[in-house]
Amino acid sequence: MAEPQLGHAATSNNVVPVDGPGSSKEASSASIGLPLRQAMKQPVAEIKIHDITDKFTRACSALEVGQLVKDEYFTLFESIGALEIMDPKMDSGFLQPGEASEDDYDTLGALLPEELIGIMDQLLCYEMAWHTGYPLSQTLFTSVYIDKLLWPEPKVLEQAQFYRGEITDDKRPGVLLEVLRAYCLALVKCCDFAIARITSRDYFEEEDFCTHTYNRVLFVQVPMNVFQRELDASVERLQDGTEVEINPILRDAIVARLQFRKDFLTALDLDVPIDHLEAHWQPLLDGLTTITTTQQLGKTVPGSFSLKIQRRLASTVPPRPIVELDSADAFSKLKQLITDCKEATRFPSLPPDPIEYQNFLWAFASRTPTPLPYSRSYLANLLFHESSISIPLADMRYLVFPASPILDPTNWTLSPPRNPMLPKPPRLQLAILIDDFIDRAGQPYLEFWTALGQNRCRLRRMLNHVISAWDQLQSDAGVVDEDLKNVIGQMNAEGQVLDYPLTTWVYHKKLWMMEKAVLLGFEQDIYLPDEYAGMYLFLNNVSRKRKDLLLTVKSDFNNRLSQLRSNKSASGLQKAKEVQDGLLYIDSLLAETTATLELGLALGKFYVALLYLDLIPRPKRPFGSEQCRYELRMKNFLNLHPSEVTEFSEFNNHTKPFGPYEKPDTDEVDYTKDKIFKWMANPTFWSGMEEHVRRAKEACSLLRKLGPQAAHAVGVREAWDKEVQSTMASCVALGVAVLGLKLAAGAEGPRGITIEFPTGGQGKRYHEGWVVGKVIKV
Amino acid sequence: MDNAEASFYLSQFIGKNLRIHTSDNRVFGGQMKCTDKDRNIILALTYEYRAPPEAEIKKAVVDSGNPSTAVTWDSRYVGLVVVPGAHIRKIEFEETGFGKSRVIL
Repeated sequence: MAEPQLGHAATSNNVVPVDGPGSSKEASSASIGLPLRQAMKQPVAEIKIHDITDKFTRACSALEVGQLVKDEYFTLFESIGALEIMDPKMDSGFLQPGEASEDDYDTLGALLPEELIGIMDQLLCYEMAWHTGYPLSQTLFTSVYIDKLLWPEPKVLEQAQFYRGEITDDKRPGVLLEVLRAYCLALVKCCDFAIARITSRDYFEEEDFCTHTYNRVLFVQVPMNVFQRELDASVERLQDGTEVEINPILRDAIVARLQFRKDFLTALDLDVPIDHLEAHWQPLLDGLTTITTTQQLGKTVPGSFSLKIQRRLASTVPPRPIVELDSADAFSKLKQLITDCKEATRFPSLPPDPIEYQNFLWAFASRTPTPLPYSRSYLANLLFHESSISIPLADMRYLVFPASPILDPTNWTLSPPRNPMLPKPPRLQLAILIDDFIDRAGQPYLEFWTALGQNRCRLRRMLNHVISAWDQLQSDAGVVDEDLKNVIGQMNAEGQVLDYPLTTWVYHKKLWMMEKAVLLGFEQDIYLPDEYAGMYLFLNNVSRKRKDLLLTVKSDFNNRLSQLRSNKSASGLQKAKEVQDGLLYIDSLLAETTATLELGLALGKFYVALLYLDLIPRPKRPFGSEQCRYELRMKNFLNLHPSEVTEFSEFNNHTKPFGPYEKPDTDEVDYTKDKIFKWMANPTFWSGMEEHVRRAKEACSLLRKLGPQAAHAVGVREAWDKEVQSTMASCVALGVAVLGLKLAAGAEGPRGITIEFPTGGQGKRYHEGWVVGKVIKV
Repeated sequence: MDNAEASFYLSQFIGKNLRIHTSDNRVFGGQMKCTDKDRNIILALTYEYRAPPEAEIKKAVVDSGNPSTAVTWDSRYVGLVVVPGAHIRKIEFEETGFGKSRVIL
């Protein structure tokens, strides 16, 4: 009996072509006999169904083994992606013999208050698991309650219930179920907001976050206040207490969760005005504490979550297990999300200064644990809100245009001559040249900031691309610089402007990024210990160039300062004061790059010594040559102009000053291992290294003395302090390590010591980018 | 049926909509892409249809009083699938009125 009936049901309902459910609208409108409607009616193709089982089977068996009858455009490669039906590992719809397709969990069954708390907390755990990158199908969508609310898709919010259609009054959900419904609805809306926020970014990556909703609509159209009202009503019904009597402790715990959900929803709202942002996150931290302390009151309801729901989600992937995130982990993730977002809300209140912004972004990206995708999108959203200043212009003003005639505001007030044949006044020409260049620089600048908004690994990879974009910009800047020079020549103002200011600015920024990219490589353990020497020496090379550049800039500042002071006018003195202040920033940059330079050099030499002492494991690489490896490491920098990468032979001279590590022996001097050991036993060998460490320390303390004010890092004072301090600590650690080596190095080579490399990301390094080997006595 | 005949017959269905009923009472509707000697069939753009549980059907029949009343089947998109020949219970061909090329059944 059931068989034909099913067949009938199938034809009359859903098994119409591949356009899926809901294609039976034609049938309902057919009954409306309005003439116009009928004229408008699309011709409906009549579908005939033919049973071809027998003939198909016979035809198949007539095929040869291995013969395929296939679409000529259908490739083997594509076919690999096909899900195998009836294979339990692949087919999410597969039922074990006797297994029911759905759970018999009753979503209208009464709940105990403890169970309600348990479900709410479990949902929160899954929500956080989703935020850390798992798909909804393995997290929130395993909840039977949420499934009931979302499917079949409700047309209006009132339909989103734990039941569908009409039910008798005695079955109506009780207060606690209504409370759970309000909570779930708001939770779903939170997910909707999170997805909207993350996908609205200019740069969004799927590997961090899963936005797939499996054809479920997360109340996109319903405004937020509806959910807030539902939550408020639930709180009232609970506190009123006439409908249901609950232990006050449990009641308060439930109310706290509802309140938290309401606050969270409000904070996630996309349309919050920028000046009210911060106020939304603090209450969440307080609310979270209450939830954490009352968590033990909850009682889990395992049946209310089911893997079987995956069977009904539009999914082209095999079934996957539910992700269990420990509640302690979930709460710490949530706390992290809230604090990160709270931190991000400080962004709009920073001083309007691109260097401040840059420092803030850098500090935000350096937060540990690394901010979740949502928090990063949240910041990115604030980042690109309207700003009244031209960011690149303000940036270059600090570095290369101290009180410069090129950026004189009056330049922008001049009008072109009426006769287009006449030459434009030089000042206007300057304004036009700068405006054009700012336009040109906009995109690379945006890319730079976008990169700063990523997680650390992607930041490193993206920086490499951004560097080449800035390399292009640098060559364009050269052209504009020539034009500027001509105009300045016309104005007889040569002495007042640095040569090639724009190139200098771009080049400086590029070198800064290169330093950071290499340091990030160390932080992320891209390099193996036997490569440390080479990479730190390379870093030293880059910062040496930056330092030279900054020294030129500094002399220009001093130049300008004496010019302005000699001109005794009030405006001249006022400008002199500005230049004097600007000089602090240059000094701060100089100190920073000097520290990098010296520490890089000291570490490079330290690791070279360790290589000769055979204290660093050198893995055998039968299929690789050192030259190929060098090219690989330098790949991202090979095409830069001016060239930043030295020839391999030159590089070798620095990393192997005494010839090969195994058999140190050069033409000039007959170095044997013994001689090297002897030489190293002499304290003078180490004094060079100690000198560099000393200079690095000096630069660090100078940097610290100049303070965050000079570095334009007032907004992230603590993070900045910490960064400087940890660099200082790395210097100290290196000093200790060098001393340890010095003492251990005897005439027969080092005795009784090993080197331990502190692993990254576990707080074992003073500074993640500076890997300082520890000398351990055995 | 010899090999040439069989190949011709089967290749007519390439790109056409088939409904495949499997041994666990599901129906897969999608475009045929490929088949072989073991009657394994690859379908693209496939939807899966599943009958509601027995109890629900009984209830629908009782409620409406009509033994062949319509019930809604659960359906969802599953994309590209391969249905192993061993699990195929029935193959149906969907002939639409628009189809220009006639299929010789």
